[in-house]
Amino acid sequence: MAVTDLLPPSERKGRQRPGATALRSMAAGALLRGPLISFVFVLGLWSVVGVLQLVPESIFPAPWSVWSATVEMWANGTLPNDLSVSRSRAAIGFTIGASLGVALGLMTGRIAVVRTLLNPFLTVLRPIPAIALVPVAIVWFGIGEGSKYFVISYTVFLTVWFNTHHGMEYVPEVYLRAARSLGVSRLREFLTVIVPAAAPYIFAGLRLGVALAFLSLVAAELSGASSGIGYRLQEARQYIRTDRMFSLLIILGLMGATVDLIVHRISRKLVHWEQS
Amino acid sequence: MTNDIKEGHVRVEDVTINFAGKSGPVTALDTTSVELKPGTFTALIGPSGCGKSTLMNAIGGFVTPSTGRITLDGTPITGPSTKVGVIFQQYGLFPWFTALGNVRFGLKRYGLPKSEEIDRARAALDEVGLGAHADKFPQQLSGGMKQRVAIARTFAVGPKVLLMDEPFGALDAQTRLVMHDLLLDVWQKHRATVLFVTHDVDEALLLADDVRVMSQAPGRLIRHYEIRQPRPRALSRSGSDLLATRDEIIDLLRPAGALADVH
Repeated sequence: MAVTDLLPPSERKGRQRPGATALRSMAAGALLRGPLISFVFVLGLWSVVGVLQLVPESIFPAPWSVWSATVEMWANGTLPNDLSVSRSRAAIGFTIGASLGVALGLMTGRIAVVRTLLNPFLTVLRPIPAIALVPVAIVWFGIGEGSKYFVISYTVFLTVWFNTHHGMEYVPEVYLRAARSLGVSRLREFLTVIVPAAAPYIFAGLRLGVALAFLSLVAAELSGASSGIGYRLQEARQYIRTDRMFSLLIILGLMGATVDLIVHRISRKLVHWEQS
Repeated sequence: MTNDIKEGHVRVEDVTINFAGKSGPVTALDTTSVELKPGTFTALIGPSGCGKSTLMNAIGGFVTPSTGRITLDGTPITGPSTKVGVIFQQYGLFPWFTALGNVRFGLKRYGLPKSEEIDRARAALDEVGLGAHADKFPQQLSGGMKQRVAIARTFAVGPKVLLMDEPFGALDAQTRLVMHDLLLDVWQKHRATVLFVTHDVDEALLLADDVRVMSQAPGRLIRHYEIRQPRPRALSRSGSDLLATRDEIIDLLRPAGALADVH
């Protein structure tokens, strides 16, 4: 630091060596600047398309139109309401699905009987997309919140189960041998060896589950909803409000990315040994 | 040296071990009988894939013999137990626990008060010279340090027999020499019966009372050397005796016909 401070300002930038502080600021810079550059770039391109009016507004709205549509939806109260409705659907659906997925994954991973009884069945369920489930969900749970929770938690459940199950299967043999020759109880072995060993897979499943919660949220809200981001998208289609659609899609993307980042941070903290 | 020790007597009696292969059963270990006397240090040496690890895994209770039986102090071995400690080449440390946590893990079954458990774990780490690194995670430690944690963890539960599967195979030569001294040091304090699998002839001669050589797969024990030189040993200054044995073993391990093309 002291050395670079002595240099004339014009020379500082180029001559900075990757010392400890420099590396740290480079890492922080990469985090902050990397995504930002990408957004600025895309927004710039998008603005150019808007200024030149290459495409009609009704098909491809300019950034400022999308912004004013966002402000409009926020001002008339639909956006805050939609956000909170969708957020709680995604959160509740995710929580139910993820809990069941982890619980069942731990069982199919370690208990042969459960595995034999359920794995083939669950494997057949996995390729069924959330949207295909909506009609059944409506028949079973009506058009209320129940059917939304069902569709979301179903999707999240299968992914989280699948990853948890595989994590349990790939517990390195050396851990089990070490644990057994050290004479720990089966319960302690399960809780302090098997579950931590599978934790990286479980968290990978939870991250996928978050993404799928948002995917299936829209599927769930496309039919039989009267509020929520997915419903508002459908409504915007009826009025051909492309500006609103863009706004809602961007919000959906930002929400998903934010939650993903949070889950990623938490998992890095909890599964700290996987990084180094 | 070994007269005072009564426990840790391993007998392997006519054991064969077969595994199910793609085209029928594969013999991993041909009929083998061997006795490990209490408190002795045996090195098991042989070419790769000859079944040394299989024999070790059977004594560890991880693999069941197809025929014959293995007893420890007269009782058949039916599965892993704390009487038989194991040191793995890949360390087998839990990366989610610190060095201290790994040693404490082994002490859990004693149901000690927390402070006593920590004290004992710290003492075990001190013994292998890692007291200052107790709170580090395995991935923050070098290979040699990891193996020291594993040694501390295993000796802390007081095994009668210690199985070591190429424990220093992943370490550099210098670290390996340090680990040899450390192992002999700790072993002389705890006096377990050691079975040490290696394919390094020098390592076997430096450490063991008994060096047993295995043949190519399917493995059989083909030669037994009793090494009576006092420790610490060094191959360079211990006279012609060890060096002659070394040459013999290297000859035994050479695959039949491997040199035919050269001569």
